[in-house]
Amino acid sequence: MNLTAVVWGVTGTLFFFGLAMVTLRRQLLAMLLGIELMLAAVNVSLVHHAGLFNDAEALAVVALVIAVAAAEAVVGLSLILRVRRSGHGADASTLTELQG
Amino acid sequence: MTPAQVPLAAWLLYAAPVTAILFGFFVMRRVKPEWTHLPILVSCMIVTASAFWLAADVYTGHSFDLNLFRWAAAGTFGVDFGLRVDGPGVAVLAMVSFVGSLIHLYAAGYMKGDPGFSRFFLVFHLFFLAMIGLLTANNYVQLYLFWELVGVASYLLVGFWFHKESARKAALKAFMTNRVGDFGLLLAVLLIVLQFKVTHFHLLYLKAASGATFDLLPLIGLCLVWAACAKSAQFPLYFWLPDAMEGPTPTSALMHAATMVTAGVFLLVRSWPLISLVEGLPHLVAWIGGITALGAAIIAGTKKDLKRILAYSTVSHLGLMMLALGLDQVGVALFHLIVHGFFKAALFLCAGNIAHALHQPTANVDDVGGLQKSMRLTYLSFVLAALSLAGVFPFGGFFSKDAILDAAWHHGGPLAALGMLVAAGSAFYIFRMLFLTFYGARPEQKQAPHAHEAEPILGIPVLFLALGAALAGLLKEPIQRFVVIGMRGLPSGLPELNLVLNLPGEPLLPHFNWVVADLGTLMVALGAFAAWRLTMSDPGFDWRWRGGFAESMFESDFGYKIFVDWLVRCVSWIARFTGRVLDKAWWDGLIESTNDIVRGAGAALASSAQGRVNDYLWWMVAGTALLLGKVLR
Repeated sequence: MNLTAVVWGVTGTLFFFGLAMVTLRRQLLAMLLGIELMLAAVNVSLVHHAGLFNDAEALAVVALVIAVAAAEAVVGLSLILRVRRSGHGADASTLTELQG
Repeated sequence: MTPAQVPLAAWLLYAAPVTAILFGFFVMRRVKPEWTHLPILVSCMIVTASAFWLAADVYTGHSFDLNLFRWAAAGTFGVDFGLRVDGPGVAVLAMVSFVGSLIHLYAAGYMKGDPGFSRFFLVFHLFFLAMIGLLTANNYVQLYLFWELVGVASYLLVGFWFHKESARKAALKAFMTNRVGDFGLLLAVLLIVLQFKVTHFHLLYLKAASGATFDLLPLIGLCLVWAACAKSAQFPLYFWLPDAMEGPTPTSALMHAATMVTAGVFLLVRSWPLISLVEGLPHLVAWIGGITALGAAIIAGTKKDLKRILAYSTVSHLGLMMLALGLDQVGVALFHLIVHGFFKAALFLCAGNIAHALHQPTANVDDVGGLQKSMRLTYLSFVLAALSLAGVFPFGGFFSKDAILDAAWHHGGPLAALGMLVAAGSAFYIFRMLFLTFYGARPEQKQAPHAHEAEPILGIPVLFLALGAALAGLLKEPIQRFVVIGMRGLPSGLPELNLVLNLPGEPLLPHFNWVVADLGTLMVALGAFAAWRLTMSDPGFDWRWRGGFAESMFESDFGYKIFVDWLVRCVSWIARFTGRVLDKAWWDGLIESTNDIVRGAGAALASSAQGRVNDYLWWMVAGTALLLGKVLR
């Protein structure tokens, strides 16, 4: 069993766990965590393949994704805090302002 | 021919009235309103001189038809503004300008002191200008423009005393009825454009004479006849003309004699090469004219208001012109149009003089009687014009009416009898009017002690018109020549028209016929005798059997007015039904229901969007997966 298969398996599992958290959970914090998890899984996969193909550009993308993830965490967390403070709670199922 | 070669007179025909109106409006009206008539009278003189100059030109064979500039263009189709100075146009033009100018002069005296003096003269001259434009237009669109302008000016003049409700109503009635006819002309013009792609008279004549068949031609002809019926007050649409008497008397004179009502006959004269091609249409015109002539002559004999009697007489004479046209006698129709212009203007102005003498806006046969002594000049003018109208031998009307009767006689059948009856009827109503007004003072009539002869400015134009009416018979030969020139095309540039129209060389006015002349004179004598019997020999007859049912019949034109009122009510009911039920309830309901349908569909679709973030995420995942699948495969 080579390393690539292991990486695929682990990152794929992590990605789908993240996706499941985003789509199935109702708490905003958990959904944000799911997004972070998906980004992390993709990052791991990217690092492995960068080493495999000896590609520096992929590593640059990894750095970019980390930066985006950090920024997203900052914005996302502050948004969640804001929503909580507005008194509507942090449950996505009750936040249905977009209902037609 | 280029614009540079157009005679000065033709330019002056437009330039003088336009300048006079603009100067009157912008300068005189502000500075010295009671002098507004001065530039306008000068313009009248210039126009009359120009018209006679052009008539002389045309008489010696220098008619022309010229496009001055392109007025509107759309692709290959265009509307030109042009001048057509040909036989029929210039013959009517000479009469219109001469009679019109005398009426202008009369109006200067008649309207003196009226608060709306300057407004009256400006609109009056606009009316005159519109008619000049109508007579010199060289295509149907230009004709339509001036046709509408005549209508607008007449509306303003009939409603001149707008503080009177009856005047406002009459103006509206005249305008509305004219709109009905104008719509016919509009349809005709559009159909002409559709069918022929041109609107110029000479091009249309050429096309009509080319022998090809045109599918829309019957419809065009019918629309033109319809338009002429409204403008010239023919049978189904005649009723606006007597009501149009609400305007000042000079307006009535100008409208009846020279400008407004002759426009319809003139339209038919202009369109005759087209109309005569339609099977049966000339016959229809003849019958419309004959029925109108007889009906209006009978009604005229029952009326009491002087101007109303004359108004119905106008309707009757227009009917005679239509009859002549329908019998294919364009020259006769024009001849009668011109003679009628003289005697009718004179008669109207006499009626105006009588009203003026009584210090009333309008006079009734009850009001007056025995004016023979106190108003000698008016009496003389009235007698001359009345004899001309009735068609007594040496006077003008005899020749034109005789020509019409002759044409009807040659046609034979009921139309000939109709013509004879009209001759008797016209003699009856005009002699009745003459006897009641100038002879007597009858016991039933209120005395008119204040009646006095009008001042010279009112008397002289009337006398000139009456002399014109008496002598108009001399115009027979010239008019025949004008019509031959007009019908045989234009010498300059269009010689081919002579050949293609294939007209007879010596046509138009029928030769003198002793039988018809004698019979016509006999009818006139009968009518005059009946009038004398009913008004003079048996005093009080005219009054005794009036009142009650007879009076109501007379008032309503033997029921026709009631029928028209009923018709108007029906139409307004249809309008209300269309507005309130069809439009408001049904159509608007349909529109509003589509609104509801859209709203319902929107609501149904909106239920799928509950606003839950997770749902949207599912949609997003599904979409991304779909795209990814597509990309990877």
